[in-house]
Parts: sequence; C-alpha cells; structure tokens
Amino acid sequence: MRNFKPGFFAAAVLTLILSSCHKDQVTPKTPAPVTDGFYVLNQGLFNDNNSTLSFYSYANKTVTADIFNSANDRGLGDTGNDIEVYGSKMYIVVNISSTIEVVDPKTAKSIRQIKLFNGTTAREPRDIAFYKGNAYVSSYDGTVAVIDTATLGVKSYISVGRNPEQLAVANGKLYVANSGGLDYPNYDTTVSVIDLGSGTVIKTITVTVNPQNVGTDNNGNVYVLSAGNYSTVGSTLTVIDDNTDVVKSQTDFDGSGMVIQGTTAYFITSTNTIKVFDLKTMTTTTNSFISDGTAITTPYALAVDGSTGEVFVTDAKDYTSAGSIYAFDKNGKKEYSITAGINPGKIAFLKQ
Amino acid sequence: MKIKAALNICARCIAGMALACLIFVPKLLFAQTDSAKKLKEVKIKETPVPQVQTITPEQQVNTADLNRVNAINVADAVRDFSGVNIKDYGGIGGLKTVSVRGLGADHLVVLYDGVAINDAENGQIDLGKYNLNGIEQIILYNAQPDNILSPSRSFASASVIAIKPVQPHLTVLKPFKVVAGVNGGSFGFINPYLQWQQRLSDRWSYVVNGYLESATGRYKFKNPEDGSDTLQTRTNADIHDQRIDGSLYWFKNDSNKFSLHINYYNSDRGLPAAVINYNPYSGQRLWNQDFFAQAGYMHTWNDGLQLLLNTKLSREYTRYIDPAYQNNNGGIDDRYTQREFYQSAALAYHITSTWQVSYAGDIALSTVGAESPTNSISNYAFPSRFTLQEVLASKLILNRWRFEGDLLHSYVNEWVQYGKATPDQNVLSPTLMTTFQPFAQPDLQLRAFYKDIFREPTLDEQYLFAPLGSRNVQPEFARQFDLGIAYRKAFDSFLGYLTLTIDGYYNRVTNKIVDLPQQNPDIPSVINIGAADIKGVDVGIKTQTRQSSGWRGLLSVNYTYQYAIDTALKLQIPYIPRNSVAFNAGVEYRDLGLYYNQIISSSRLYLEDINSQVSGYAVGDLALVYKCIISKKAMTFSAHINNLFNQQYSIVRSFPMPGRSYLLSFQITI
Repeated sequence: MRNFKPGFFAAAVLTLILSSCHKDQVTPKTPAPVTDGFYVLNQGLFNDNNSTLSFYSYANKTVTADIFNSANDRGLGDTGNDIEVYGSKMYIVVNISSTIEVVDPKTAKSIRQIKLFNGTTAREPRDIAFYKGNAYVSSYDGTVAVIDTATLGVKSYISVGRNPEQLAVANGKLYVANSGGLDYPNYDTTVSVIDLGSGTVIKTITVTVNPQNVGTDNNGNVYVLSAGNYSTVGSTLTVIDDNTDVVKSQTDFDGSGMVIQGTTAYFITSTNTIKVFDLKTMTTTTNSFISDGTAITTPYALAVDGSTGEVFVTDAKDYTSAGSIYAFDKNGKKEYSITAGINPGKIAFLKQ
Repeated sequence: MKIKAALNICARCIAGMALACLIFVPKLLFAQTDSAKKLKEVKIKETPVPQVQTITPEQQVNTADLNRVNAINVADAVRDFSGVNIKDYGGIGGLKTVSVRGLGADHLVVLYDGVAINDAENGQIDLGKYNLNGIEQIILYNAQPDNILSPSRSFASASVIAIKPVQPHLTVLKPFKVVAGVNGGSFGFINPYLQWQQRLSDRWSYVVNGYLESATGRYKFKNPEDGSDTLQTRTNADIHDQRIDGSLYWFKNDSNKFSLHINYYNSDRGLPAAVINYNPYSGQRLWNQDFFAQAGYMHTWNDGLQLLLNTKLSREYTRYIDPAYQNNNGGIDDRYTQREFYQSAALAYHITSTWQVSYAGDIALSTVGAESPTNSISNYAFPSRFTLQEVLASKLILNRWRFEGDLLHSYVNEWVQYGKATPDQNVLSPTLMTTFQPFAQPDLQLRAFYKDIFREPTLDEQYLFAPLGSRNVQPEFARQFDLGIAYRKAFDSFLGYLTLTIDGYYNRVTNKIVDLPQQNPDIPSVINIGAADIKGVDVGIKTQTRQSSGWRGLLSVNYTYQYAIDTALKLQIPYIPRNSVAFNAGVEYRDLGLYYNQIISSSRLYLEDINSQVSGYAVGDLALVYKCIISKKAMTFSAHINNLFNQQYSIVRSFPMPGRSYLLSFQITI
C-alpha cells in the first residue's frame, strides 16, 4: 500500500460516477393521434402525482406513452379516475388533483381545466356521465357537479350520499352509487336517484354495503355492484327498475370492475378470471372468458368495444410498475397486448 | 403467562447457544492466563489521526465537526457518511429517515447512550427530531459496535447509529459549564439552546439541556410537473418543537459508572403533504410528545467480570389530523400512544487478556393504544409485543488476528385486544467478524464480517387496518458479507495524516416486507414477497495538512456505490442511488475556518418502474466559522449557506427540497 496513489483512485471513482449518472429522459414530441384507437388512463400511485394518458393507434399499432404531457407540457396530476368521450371533447377526471381536464380527443391537447374545489377543500372527483349537453361528475365530498359541456362551466352542485363513485343515466335519471368508502368500515349503502329535468334527488334507494359500479342495459334496468366490506360481507349485484326505482333483485355476486355492453356484463372475479354474465337470464355465461390460456397477473379494469365485441383487460401487475392492456376477441382469444402506464384503470375508445 | 412461556423457550435456547458458542471459540486459548484487566480511565485527547481500523466499518462525527457540515440535527450530521441514504421529505420539519447499505430504514437501530430508541409501531426513527444540542458524538457502525459488553439490541440490527450525549468533564476549580447559543435564518427558523453542566462531587455531576425550534418552514420550489413557470411556496410547513433532557452521572472510572437520562420532546408541525398538481392545499398536522427515562449502570469486578444494566421506560404520543379527508366525521384525527418497558442485563468476562466472552439478555414490552374522535381508526387491534433478545458473544485476539462472533436469539410474542395475534416467533442470528494485520506496521488492516439478521414487522405493518387482525407478516432477513481494508498513516510532511477505508459488500435481503397499494387506499396490504441483492462499495478518505503559519487544510471524501437489485424485477430498489459522493473540504486560518460540503447523488427510482425516476442532484453547502475568546469566554460565530447554487431537487418524489437558504449561529461557553 506504500505505492497507493490517491489521484488514480479519485479518477477511477469519478469515471464510475460519470459513466452511470442519470441522463435526463428525452420526451419525444409525438405526432398527434389522428387514427382510430383508444386512450388508456393510468392512475399512477396516490401521492406520486404520476397519472398518465397512453394512446394506442389501431392503424400504426403503436403506443404513445404519456401523451397528455407531450401535448400540454404538463402532467395530469394525481390519480386519474375516469375518462369519457362526449361529443367532440374528451373528459378526464383526476381525483386527488381535483380537476376535470377537457381535451381535444384528436390531439390530447387541453381545452380547459375545470377545478373542483370548495374553498380550499378538494372535492376529489371520481366519475363522469353525460345527458343532454351536461356532464355530471361525482365527487368524494358527496356532490354531483353539473357542468355545461358547451361553456365548460360548473352550473350547480347536487348533494348526494357519502363518497359517491360511479354514476349512470337511465330513463332521464342519474343513478349515483354512494360508497362511503372513506368511512371504512362504516360504508354507505345507498344509490341516489337524481331527476335530470329538475336536477334534484328524488329518491334514495338502499342497496348493500359499499356500492361502487353502476351500469344500465337497454331493457329498463340499472345494475349496481356493491363491493362489500372486504371482510364479513361480500360483493352483491342489485337490479333496480329505472321506471319505478325499486329494487328488483339482489344477489351475492363474485365480481368487480363491472362493465355492461348491451345485455351482457363483464366482471373480474376474486380468482382473477373474467366473468361473462347474461343480464336477460341473470346467469353466468362463463367464469373464464379468456379461452387461450393468456395469463394476466392482476386484472384491474375492463372495457368492451361494442362495435367489434372485443374485450380489453388491463393488468396492474404489482401496482407499482408499468401495466399492460390485453385485447381479446369476442371468443376470449388474445389479439394483442400493449404496455401502458402504472395502474391502467380506464379505457376510452376513439372513433373518427 | 406468555412471559413464562418465553422464558422456558429461552432456557432451551441458551443451552443450544452455549453449544454453538463452543464451536467458534477455540479451546487452545485457555493456555493464556493473563488475568483480566480493569479498564483504566482514559483521558480522550483529540487524536490527530482518526481511528479507522475497526473490526466492522465505523464512521463518526464529533461536536467539533458539526459546524463544518452545516448540521442542525442528527440526520444532517450523518448525511456525508458512506453507505448512508437519507430519505428527506424536505424542509425544517420534514421527516428524515436513514437507511444504510441498501437495507430499509427498519434495519437500523439508533442508540442513545447505548440504549435503543425503539418505535415498535412505525419502526423508522425520524432523525430530524434530534437536534444536535447536547450531543457529543455520533457513530455509525455497520453490523454492530465492537464492544461485546452491550445490550442485545445493539447486536440485533444490520447497522447502528450510536448517539452519545454530552458528558461533563469538570474540575473542582471550575465546577460548572454553561453553553448557550442560537441558530436562526431562512424558513423563519429560530433555535435557541442552553446547556448547564454541573459538578456535584468527585463522582456526581449532572447536565441539563434544553432547546426550542420554531420555523414557518416556508420555501420556494419549482414544480416541474404542472407546466407552471413560476416558483411556488411550500406552505403548512411550520414547526414548533422543544426538547429538554437532564442527565445525572456517577463516575468512578470508565469501568464503574452510572447514568440516568430523562428526556422529553414536544412538537407541533404542519405536514405540507405531497406536491400534487393543481391542488396545493394541506391542512394536515402532526403532534409528537415523546418521553423517556433511562438508566445505565456498569460495574467491573477485580477478577475481570463486568456487568452492564440498562433500563428504559418510554411513552410516545402521536396525533395526526387531516381535516380535508372526505369522511363523514370532518376528517381524520388519529391519536396513538406507544409505551415501552425495556430491561437489559449484560455480563462480560475476560477469560484471558485476549479472550473475552459475554452474555446479554434484553426484554421489552411494547403496547400501542389508539383513539380517534372522528372514528378514522377502525378495528384497531390494540397490540402488545413482548420481545426477548439474548446474545452470547466472544472476542479473541490471536497475534495479528482478531475474531469476534455472536449468536443472537430473538423471541417475539404478541397479543391483541381485538382480532387475531401473530403466532410466536423464534429466530437465531449469527454474526462473525475478523480483522487481520498483514504487516508488522499496524497501518494497514484487512477486515471481514458476516452478519445474519432480521427485522421484525412493525405493529402497524402487522395490525393497522388489517381487517382480520394480524396479517401474519414474517420477519425480513438481511444477510451481510463485508470485506474491507482500513489504512491510516501519520506523516511528518505537508500532510498530517491520511486515512483510507474501502469496503466491498454483498447483502442479500429475503422475505422482503412490502406494502402493496390496494384499490381501496384505506386498506394497506403488507406481505412478504421477493428478495433483493445489494452489491456495494463504501470508500472513505480523510486527510488534513499540518498547520503551517496558521493555515491548515482538511479534506474528507466518501463514496458509495450500490447495485441494489430486486431479484424478480431486475431493477434498482426504489430510493437507492447507484452512486453517491460526499466531500467536505475546509481551509482554516488560525481561528477562522471556511468549509465546503458537497453531496452528489445519481438518479433514483421512486417505484419499481424504469420510467419512475427522481433526478440526480448535486448540492453544495458553505460554512464560515470563527472561534474566539472574549473576556475568557469561548465564542463561536458561524454563517452557513445551504444549497449554495440554489439547485431545485427532490430526494423523495413529490416532496421538493429547499433552494438556497441561510443560517447564522452564535454560541458562547461560560
């Protein structure tokens, strides 16, 4: 060690550092999507402020990651929860950032950012539905915001139950699932029915613990999926008559992430399979829709393209790394899969 | 009843361990019969050359160095050390936890005068809560301290930070000493402190310390995510905290002494929360009230038998509110009270002057209670944990070799008021360490250690919001292998000395305790999954010039390389930089010193996802320190500029660090 040369050592260390230093990631400016395809809203993780939007082009068979950031030079924020196209605009509901990003679906460029705050308290929007030129947004503060889709201004707030999740329109009425999810384990058990003519709550229907998903069919039924309390009460499917607003049936039901296409409903089961359910007969068509053995680590959300019958399943993997989207034909055979962002929670289809 | 069962089990284990111990204690040493030596009181003078040839890597910082590294609290003081990662949430009141060599913060134990600061509920210690007032020395040990006459808890973690409180060295002629000072500067920060040391008799003395800190905590930061081009202000970051501690010492010599510490800390702070685009509001607050009383007694008999007793009682109260949380009861208001009783007894015996054996037994009883007027804590288990840790250790010097080894037995038993408790656990953990001096000159030493240790899941990981009681999370294991060289040399030339340490290590973490986010954020799910491989290098260099016409230069450089990979994902573990460097350079002219401290870190992942990165950073701090004596009173004036080049950066995603800030300090010793 007598011949030890500190200079040589320092140089070696410096070389090591420099050669492994982080190079700032270059975000490529991507061409705007002009083809048919779909958007994936990736939730990111709570407090990591990393919700992103991915776009998949059918024509180019390519994914554009983080397209909202590329188009607007800013991020969506924290926990994008819902995305819907209505008319010529697309609406992105961002929960913790408490905003609705209204964008041009052809470019992902923001048209307006609507902030949903009550003074300094974030309302925390969750879900969006549309009816006759109005957007209806449920927020965790127990309200539904009424937004004029022409002016993009909030017209009013309607008070509903605790921590409303999904909402759906049927027969001129809005059905809002009041989860009470932030009062664990004392969940809410109700669905608020809002008459969209008067904008008032006309009825509060009692369902089972922790209602989250709401869907409608073409036959005058509203379907409410309650998640239960994660311990003693399991999930339940409640059917409501959209004419009389009474509960027609209530059944214990293994499923989450309900989406309805026509008279068929799709669910993720507790064993991570995809269930297909016939709403006309109220029977399970199959509990294992995926017919070709495609393995999905953590099925997280579902989407159905009504025009093709394709079913899209998102995979959240370990909830902290980039997720995937699997596209299946109507027979449950995998067509392709793509990489999305962290926790892909909702898909919106774009048809020219 | 549970304790009785525990004792039965441990009796069986002791027998087993005694056997195991014999295996690694060579019998030939009975031949040497030098009687054990009682330690003589050693007056510690400022050694010109730092001792680096320790059996496991050891890094220390003393009071005199703290001004040079712009340190206010213990986290600041250790940030330059190699192998250390600080997770700093930013600002004066921001949480600051420390992890070492790629192992989680729960694998580190913080000792205060030899006794662990334990947090059974959360595991990780916020070192930002410990202002340096009243602290004399901080040492980081990889593996464990060298001294085998220690409580079991100091053998029971992957690494150790030992905080040594100020001990009085007073004489009859000057039976008291008063140190008073104030720090103040950016963030509306003001920190007055006072220390009173008093000699009562030949053997008795006491020290009383008190400080308070107050700050608005506000600072400007740039959010690169929300498209804004103006700086924003971090708000709701105020902190108001106070600590008072009293220590009573009885000191016969280094081998026969008693100490009693009573320590109380109170804080009230705003939590500025993560920076979320478009939603800048936070009304979250945190209150802490920590109390502990600890006593230590050491006795050495003439035949070489040594006894060390330590007792500690602690109570930690935490209250957290989030008025914006959208539940039915106007937000979250959670209050937790954690209590612990701890008792340790250790015996060491010098069989020969070069061979020592020891046994230590620690018991700890921890309970956590919770209440919430907003009903935001539900189904709380009210858990209690009994821990028994006992260790057999031996230390042997054989010519140029030194060996140390121990076997630790840990027994954990839990019970709950509601739900289901975790089944009992018994774990055996061995450690082996050695050093070898290859040449006749002791300048160079080689060292190696193997340590197999685990961390127990915290009570929060095990029970908080677990719908069915215990999650039955198993311990997380960390095996460490280290091979290093330590070199030190004093010179008569321009350089006064040079020390160099290089340690390569391999750590294998199995049964990792992972908090998986769930769809319902109220229900965290903690499971054991996966493993990690950490290959790293720690390098430390320290040198200073001889004083020449009043001038002196100092330099220390620490470099850390950590290739820390999740074995399944083949990705770097979040929040561990691949490379980091800290260097501190100073020039002193008589009583005036100018120091520059630089920390460089490469980028880190914040999730196990290649696109989820927090950028690297390079932050430089400057300190100007002037020491003088006015009317026989020693005074220190110092001015500090932190983050000199006003770098905008984060250590933790969404928690920006402050830009350039200033601090002025004044201290007088009477």
